[in-house]
Amino acid sequence: MLSITNLHARIGEKEILRGINLEVKAGEVHAIMGPNGSGKSTLASVLAGREDYEVTEGAVSFFGKDLLDLAPEKRAAEGVFLAFQYPVEIPGVSTTNFMKSAVNEIRKYRGEEPLDAVQFLKMFKEKMAYVNIDQSLLSRSLNEGFSGGEKKRNEIFQMAVLAPKLAILDETDSGLDIDALRIVAEGVNKLKSPDNATIVVTHYQRLLDYIVPDYVHVLYKGRIVKSGTKDLALELEEKGYDWIISALVD
Amino acid sequence: MATDTLATISLSKEKQSSLDRFLAKGFPTNKWEEWKYTSLKSLNDIEWNWNTSEHSVNSAALALENTCEIQSQNGKMTLIGSLPQGVEYLDFASFAAQKPEFMQAFNERNPILDQNPLYDLNDALASSHQVIWVKKGVKLEKPVLHTYFASVSIASAIQIKVLIYLEEGAELTWVDDLASSEDSKSILSNYVQEIWVSKNAHLTFVKTQDFGLSTTHVDHTFIFQADQSVVDMFTFSLNGGLIRNNLHFYVDGQQVISNLNGLYVPSNNQLVDSHTVVDHRMPNSESNELYKGVLLGNSTGVFNGKIFVRPDAQKTNAFQSCKNVLASDKASMNTKPQLEIWADDVKCSHGTTTGQLSEEALFYMRSRGLSLDAAKTLLMLAFVQQVIDKVEIPALKESISSRVVAKIQQALSV
Ligand SMILES: Nc1ncnc2c1ncn2[C@@H]1O[C@H](COP(=O)(O)OP(=O)(O)O)[C@@H](O)[C@H]1O
Ligand SMILES: [Mg+2]
Repeated sequence: MLSITNLHARIGEKEILRGINLEVKAGEVHAIMGPNGSGKSTLASVLAGREDYEVTEGAVSFFGKDLLDLAPEKRAAEGVFLAFQYPVEIPGVSTTNFMKSAVNEIRKYRGEEPLDAVQFLKMFKEKMAYVNIDQSLLSRSLNEGFSGGEKKRNEIFQMAVLAPKLAILDETDSGLDIDALRIVAEGVNKLKSPDNATIVVTHYQRLLDYIVPDYVHVLYKGRIVKSGTKDLALELEEKGYDWIISALVD
Repeated sequence: MATDTLATISLSKEKQSSLDRFLAKGFPTNKWEEWKYTSLKSLNDIEWNWNTSEHSVNSAALALENTCEIQSQNGKMTLIGSLPQGVEYLDFASFAAQKPEFMQAFNERNPILDQNPLYDLNDALASSHQVIWVKKGVKLEKPVLHTYFASVSIASAIQIKVLIYLEEGAELTWVDDLASSEDSKSILSNYVQEIWVSKNAHLTFVKTQDFGLSTTHVDHTFIFQADQSVVDMFTFSLNGGLIRNNLHFYVDGQQVISNLNGLYVPSNNQLVDSHTVVDHRMPNSESNELYKGVLLGNSTGVFNGKIFVRPDAQKTNAFQSCKNVLASDKASMNTKPQLEIWADDVKCSHGTTTGQLSEEALFYMRSRGLSLDAAKTLLMLAFVQQVIDKVEIPALKESISSRVVAKIQQALSV
């Protein structure tokens, strides 16, 4: 479904992605690991359409469409979802109102009828159960004053509501205690199907005990320098990144 | 000069002296300190009809469940329906005759009128001076609706003058639905309200201003509050060529609460100027001011908020906040909080901010499927919602919300 070839991106004069290649098929879970500053969030943001980054080379196709050509909201409507490393606070907009607008905008894009209040109520109730989130949280201003765990759970709730084909989870585990981590991971696992795919960005192996990846990639200085199966993650946990980095001939 | 024709109008002695005061100063220009950003100089270029007898009919008036309705059409006031028990609608002379003790206070009221010659113009030319009088202890559950509409085929100046008088313990919600037609010739709408809120009385006053682009509206609202009275004032400036609001609170009692809420959403080349004064002249009272603005297109906003705490007004709590979003790089906002405090034991705070919509928030929202315009609209509405939500009449709240949204959407679509 997703095919990234030789992707280069920069911000200002600084080149951050320096030739990424990645194939993701329906039903797969890919983990992207790598030390801080290696470009993981940049990759996630470029895929979601953040305009601060300039793509200088390469291509991204999503179900055969040129993803880089689409505005962020069109990408969302095509089925791309990014769970932010740092979810943004939106004062005055509740999660439920926000999701109602988002769902109906996406439905409009797809030529579907908007959902009404009753349908939303039913759908929200169902999706709330995935991440064990409370109605009172969803009625509050989005992310404003939420704890780290609440923010991440809210991201997964939104993912459940939007039911994307490709979910990119950027450090969804960071700042979570083990219980919150388990809830979030269970939510993600319940949303998994043969038709959708997940890219899990993390720099700890911990999350991968719960969301088991089919492939693990190591991103370093804007390139994927090593790929493998879930055993690679275990090896990284044990030995760190240095053995990979020192083996690289730059 | 347009004002030349005023000299030919014959007036009573008092009205003539008001007119002379106006003529001595003329329309304010931005050389005047209080009109720095809001010149009315161009009104001199228009041949005004100072006394229109044209009829107008407002087809789009607000639908509210109300106690009664007072219509002002091109300045002519009419009572529609009947008044509830304990409320009177009468002209100022009859009111004065029945309330001699009030007249003394009225004559000593001493409003701050420097640099406000349009008050004098109104006084000289207003054809009537109507009074709404709510008697002691009378509490009206439903609002009194004032539908004010103007539409003219030749440029006209329209004057309206009302006095609202709440006796002790009275409760009134007054809704000012001010509008003019989109395709009218030039209108100078000049509206004076003097409001007296006696001991323990409670007034809620919701003013919506939704004028056509050819309207210049100047509003003068003077509120005099006695002990333990409460006033919740709302000014929603939704549309119009130029709107200048002069809102003055005179805190003449103790344990008084004065709440000033304002919202403005000018677009295109519109200008909204909010000049407010809260004059704390007695101790132990409280004022809360919250103004919010979204400035679209090439519009200009002005906020000038004065708080006076006079030497006698110890233990005053006075708070003021004015927050703005510039939704376009061509829009501008000028804010000037002015606190003058002569008492030492007081709590006062003020804060003004003017910013842009957060890029981070917009990207976040777009990444979930909202178009850029939808994301902006939602953020702007969220920004102003706090003010709208304080209105306790659901139908009015919805009407204001939907007009704000429509205005934002229209501005974003050009
Ligand atoms: N907005 C930005 N401006 C300048 N540099 C940036 C910006 N965003 C990211 N970078 C830089 O790009 C590199 C990669 O960052 P990031 O993608 O956040 O890494 P990771 O998510 O792997 O920790 C870092 O060196 C970071 O400092
Ligand atoms: Mg990161």
